[in-house]
Amino acid sequence: MVTESDTESIQVEIIPNRYLMPATAQKLLNAIYENGGLIRIMIQGPNLPRNVPYGPGRGAPIEENRDLLIEVAGDAFELCVKVGRIRLELESEKYFNGLKAACERALPFPVHLKRGKFFHTKQTLSDYAKFGEAEDKRILGLIDPKAKRNRLALLSEEKVTVNDEER
Amino acid sequence: MAYTPQYYPGSTSVGINRRKHMSGNLEKLRDIPEADVTAIMGHRAPGADYSSTHPPLKEMGEPDCPVRQLVTPTAGAAAGDRVRYSQWTDSMYFAPAIPYWRSYWGAINCKGCDPGTLSGRQIIEARERDIEAYTKAQYDSEMTDVALCSMRGCTVHGHSLRLEENGMQFDMLARTEFGADGNVYATKDQVGIPLDKKINLGKPMTEAEAKKRTTIFRADGIPMCGKVGARKYDEAVEALHHMWELRSKWGFRPE
Repeated sequence: MVTESDTESIQVEIIPNRYLMPATAQKLLNAIYENGGLIRIMIQGPNLPRNVPYGPGRGAPIEENRDLLIEVAGDAFELCVKVGRIRLELESEKYFNGLKAACERALPFPVHLKRGKFFHTKQTLSDYAKFGEAEDKRILGLIDPKAKRNRLALLSEEKVTVNDEER
Repeated sequence: MAYTPQYYPGSTSVGINRRKHMSGNLEKLRDIPEADVTAIMGHRAPGADYSSTHPPLKEMGEPDCPVRQLVTPTAGAAAGDRVRYSQWTDSMYFAPAIPYWRSYWGAINCKGCDPGTLSGRQIIEARERDIEAYTKAQYDSEMTDVALCSMRGCTVHGHSLRLEENGMQFDMLARTEFGADGNVYATKDQVGIPLDKKINLGKPMTEAEAKKRTTIFRADGIPMCGKVGARKYDEAVEALHHMWELRSKWGFRPE
């Protein structure tokens, strides 16, 4: 019988039953961060444009989607999406139960946690076109290959990289 | 004895609601002023003149045609109004209406309109003063829940997405907002241009109320087969099987 190693990293997908408001997203992300053992994390959801993208009202500002600043573990960044899904990698199995408890504590509604493999390990052509040869392999799977603008916030013990420049 | 059309089979609450939508015997839940509906539609400023594509029919001198003598034109057609639209997005989380049933409602109950059914949205086109009346009827009746249904001329995304924390359907352009007083307010017209004033659309339905009024069959609500574990399927499925069978046999013609 093969037993799974409990020292290998695990990947988890968190899907709340509702889309999160910035305040709740901040609360949840902080709870996840406080649980510890985080290698990388990605938030995903429908885009929140700053202006009406098309139609007769094209270009009209959408004030509700602007300045959605949240602060996670002391670092502030701007939300560009409505948080609907969080994928993350934990250092080992032992952080999983804490993560589950953190989600239940932070959210007033049910949440699904899925275990699996959510980040790719081999660099794709799109990755190469986006940022060249990846020195830090943690970046793989964190960037939407279809996005014109890179939206990346990598939170780790070592550094915080927020890359929002036009490519 | 007067003929009563039979619209949809089944004895589930969804079947009953579907019949109600098609027959047009809908409960009126709210009364949104005409001027506010016009403002949300965004085609003309409330009180402004209707733009027209042709002179009024009376001035045009129509040809001698038996069909034209038989059919009374709608108010919009008689005045020569432009054709305008209103488009709705209904959440799949137990919204009272769904695109097909808005279209059935339109095609059966609204004269001179052109309903268009898409997977996550539904559009009705008609002469301007007619479409304003039809849109108001949709807004005021139980076809619409102000949290789960909204008028969206563009960027219609939202039908198949999870709801927001406050129970509203997700809207990328934030055309409606949930007020602190529990009412839903329209802040932009259907294409995302801000309105001069917020329009109070009233309170949204509770989850139980939405489930009661919905026309959506769902496994976690009312399934199409009827009561789970019953000996017999609901008539809706039987009728569907019957139609499917006839259609298949009609299509299959061995020589």
